[in-house]
Amino acid sequence: MSISTNSPLNLPPDPTVQRRQRRLAAMLIGIGLLCVVAGAALRGGRLALDWLSERLDRDGAPAIGTGAPPVDLTIAVSPAMKPAFDQLVLTFNDRATGGTLPIRTLELSPDRMVEESLQAAPTFQALAPDSSLWFHELEQRWAEAVGEADEASVIPIANRRTGTPVRFAVSPIVVVAWESVARDLGWPFEPLGWQEIQRKATRDPAFKWNHPSTNHASGLLATLAEFYAGAGLTRGLTEAAATAPSTLEYVRAVEATVRFYGEGEAVILERLRSEGRAFLDAFVAQEQVVIAWNQSRPTERLVAIYPAEGTLWADHPLALLELDTISEAQRRTYQDFVAFLTGEEAQRTLLAAGYRPADLAVPLDETGSPFAASPSADQDAVDSRQPQTTLQMPSQQVVQVVRNVWWYTKRPTNVFLVVDTSGSMDDGAKMERTKEALLAFLENIRGDRDQVGLVEFGTEVKRVEPLRPLTDQGREQFRGVIRGLQPRGNTALLDAVWEAHQQIVSTGDPEAINAIVVMTDGLENASDRTTMDLQRAFGNSEAQRIVVFTIGFGSDADVRLLQQIAVLGGGQFRRADETDIEELYRVISTYF
Amino acid sequence: MNRTRWIFVGIVVAALIIVGVSLALGGLGSDGGGSASPDGGESITVGRPNAITVRVIAALPIETWVRNAAAAYNATAPKIEGVPVSVEIDAMDGLTALGRWDRNTFGALEAGVDPETLDAAARAALEDFPTAWIPESRYLVELANASYKERLGRDVFLTDGEYRARPIATSLLTWGLYQSRAEVLQAKYGQISWDTIHDAATARGGWPELGGDPGWGYFKLVVPNPSKNVAGLHAMIAAAGEYYERPDISVADVTTPAFQAWLKELMGAVTDFSSASAYTAEDFALFGYSVGDGGQLLEADLLLNMQGILTRWDDPIDLYYPRYVTWFDFPFSVWVGPETSALEKNAALDFQRYLLSDEQQQAGLAYGLRPANPRVPLDAVPGSLFTQWQERGVEAVIPRSDAMRNPDREVLLALLRWFELNVAE
Repeated sequence: MSISTNSPLNLPPDPTVQRRQRRLAAMLIGIGLLCVVAGAALRGGRLALDWLSERLDRDGAPAIGTGAPPVDLTIAVSPAMKPAFDQLVLTFNDRATGGTLPIRTLELSPDRMVEESLQAAPTFQALAPDSSLWFHELEQRWAEAVGEADEASVIPIANRRTGTPVRFAVSPIVVVAWESVARDLGWPFEPLGWQEIQRKATRDPAFKWNHPSTNHASGLLATLAEFYAGAGLTRGLTEAAATAPSTLEYVRAVEATVRFYGEGEAVILERLRSEGRAFLDAFVAQEQVVIAWNQSRPTERLVAIYPAEGTLWADHPLALLELDTISEAQRRTYQDFVAFLTGEEAQRTLLAAGYRPADLAVPLDETGSPFAASPSADQDAVDSRQPQTTLQMPSQQVVQVVRNVWWYTKRPTNVFLVVDTSGSMDDGAKMERTKEALLAFLENIRGDRDQVGLVEFGTEVKRVEPLRPLTDQGREQFRGVIRGLQPRGNTALLDAVWEAHQQIVSTGDPEAINAIVVMTDGLENASDRTTMDLQRAFGNSEAQRIVVFTIGFGSDADVRLLQQIAVLGGGQFRRADETDIEELYRVISTYF
Repeated sequence: MNRTRWIFVGIVVAALIIVGVSLALGGLGSDGGGSASPDGGESITVGRPNAITVRVIAALPIETWVRNAAAAYNATAPKIEGVPVSVEIDAMDGLTALGRWDRNTFGALEAGVDPETLDAAARAALEDFPTAWIPESRYLVELANASYKERLGRDVFLTDGEYRARPIATSLLTWGLYQSRAEVLQAKYGQISWDTIHDAATARGGWPELGGDPGWGYFKLVVPNPSKNVAGLHAMIAAAGEYYERPDISVADVTTPAFQAWLKELMGAVTDFSSASAYTAEDFALFGYSVGDGGQLLEADLLLNMQGILTRWDDPIDLYYPRYVTWFDFPFSVWVGPETSALEKNAALDFQRYLLSDEQQQAGLAYGLRPANPRVPLDAVPGSLFTQWQERGVEAVIPRSDAMRNPDREVLLALLRWFELNVAE
């Protein structure tokens, strides 16, 4: 039975009203559903955003909407350590599990690491220079840059650019010599020091030695040792003692015997392999170089002379920069890598490469260690119980003074830049990058007795800028010449090198480092001179000894010819492209 | 439909919209700083989170022990009021940490700021706030309190009551010298003291003048760099104590020209402050006698590196206890401000109790740390470094000494500035 109470008359419902009521009910339900759906959508969206944000954060994004998340951790490494470091990075990356970013290495000289670390956005997040002294410089300059604490009562500590450094290997800086040379000097029976090497170099014109530039720990140490010897001290070197005329005179005399400066251990090993015994008689480097060379079973081994006056240590620290942009994933990756690097496997790898591991639990003298006593030699090339003493590291201010004063004591340089401005240099940004590289080179030549010249070539030698000292005026004129270089014509490479050679010979200055830096991007196709002509010319100027560095710019350069020219000049051939030509010119400048 | 019905419908629709929007906004607002809670959207002070992390800043000499203890503690799946707890350790030298408290770089809230009123970003920033701090010495806690008292009008680490700072281990500064060098010095001067070291440091002819091997060069002192390791500062204070022959040192004492000249001569025998790391005893072992013949370092650090020294270098290190000794008591200090929740504070206390347990105190012996728990003797376990290195001079009871009193802030600042101006630069 159905009873309706809608109408007292019990009339059937009005169909219009029924339709309206149904529509109204449907509308109400629809609105209700809409509200619930909207609420759910907002909440769901929020949850999705939370999930995404959490995931990105885990994977290394600084925050949503602030740019792409970092995809790796970049570590700047000193050239000397790079080969061993890369091997360890490769193993680490291979074993990386989820959440760990891959590590990328960037080779930089320690002084460049310091410069870049002071910038707002360095191209790396962690750095491994060859010595902690670079961290000291970095922190001092950082403190100067950010200013001291505003309150006198605040503890003046904790405002740092880097986190706590971790050492992963050490190696003392030594004088490396061929065994025959070392025995002539009195090794292993006489205590030998910096003074004996310096005396030998000043008395024997045939004795060839070098030390790297002060951009490397080994070069800086060798320079400090000269200043100490010049001042007659073994500790307490002051600014006054370092700049005393007698000290400077002594250092200048010693520096005059250095064949060339240049890069650190990595390049030295390369040159040892290519030149063998004809390379220098002695040089300053990390002890590790001796082990690395002797492991290649050479005809003559190298030995380490631990200077009697004292030495310094390359202590290979690694630290993370304190940057706001470093993501959680990068921090975690860094910590994982540090754990790996200081773990037993990595420490033994470093030992095998010739470094002394930072982990004291790894003994140096166990069987198979490169420090273990050799049964076949009467005297081991390295001695893990050495050095007995170290030179005192002066304050940062004195170190800076030594580095600055060194420019006035170093061997003077006459260097000719031979620059290809043929038509092909008009491709892409080649010409612009070259100009920037040449300007960077110019900035790095700072000795008061250094001179620079330039030969520009295309179809013929277009311009010859004679050697000139880099006074303020001379430097500005030279910058103008570089900025005005214009690409056109063919490639008369040999004629240009010939011209530079003639220019240097005409100076008749055998006391200086005489060098030519040649750059070309193409094939020789326009010269009157031949390689035979060049060979004769270099042969006739042996007394003056002109070193040639050649650079093949891009993939079309005549590599074979450039290598030939480098061999003629007893120098090196290097490749470059638009991304690294500036760095290469900067590196070459350290040889002068 | 009549007007009344339209009004009714309108009210229902409005009510539904309000409910829907509230739900949506509730969802947005549930994101929070601090710990997330199961029902979402609770504040860091009243919420009941899914899990909590106790962040502990630990002094360098106890870092390894505390880090390993934290790993062992985490492995027990600890809970506080049913909430899982994990402990994270951040190693930091006491002076560095004090500098950060001073600068407030950890981000403590200003006075009167209620964490519940913070926006999401500000709450998130508090997630990394330290729950507890274990510096080298109690006086560093007092200096941090003094700094915050000026700013907030209250202490941030309590010195009494349930949350008071409790020592978890102790160690002291001792002389550590390579045996060959110590024998020469003892033959010439008798005992090892700051005066002996000063005389050796100022010997112009170096070791040959002192009766040692010419190959040893000049006498090289090892003192931690005060800007990286608080023990360096304490070594200078200990030297002052011996210079004045009393354990309490004032600003007037450390600014006296004669004392400064004496201290400068002493510090002039340090080979390289610039490359010294915060872990000086480790450097000492790594570079051996080439960088230092001896110095005053923390007993725990010396014991921990003794084996490494023997492995790498021919010469062992011998320990000698000074007349005026500096003790480190490593107080576990819980932050009591609103930046951390009550649950986190209680979890920190739970970890503190764990560190003081017999088992962990015994573990500390393997790191050269003297137990704070009186039930644990120095020879409690076979691996105790105090047993292992007895022949190197380590002693259970410290002989005839006076404990140096803790310096006040002014003395600290005066010495730090003197060091920066006269030695570091």
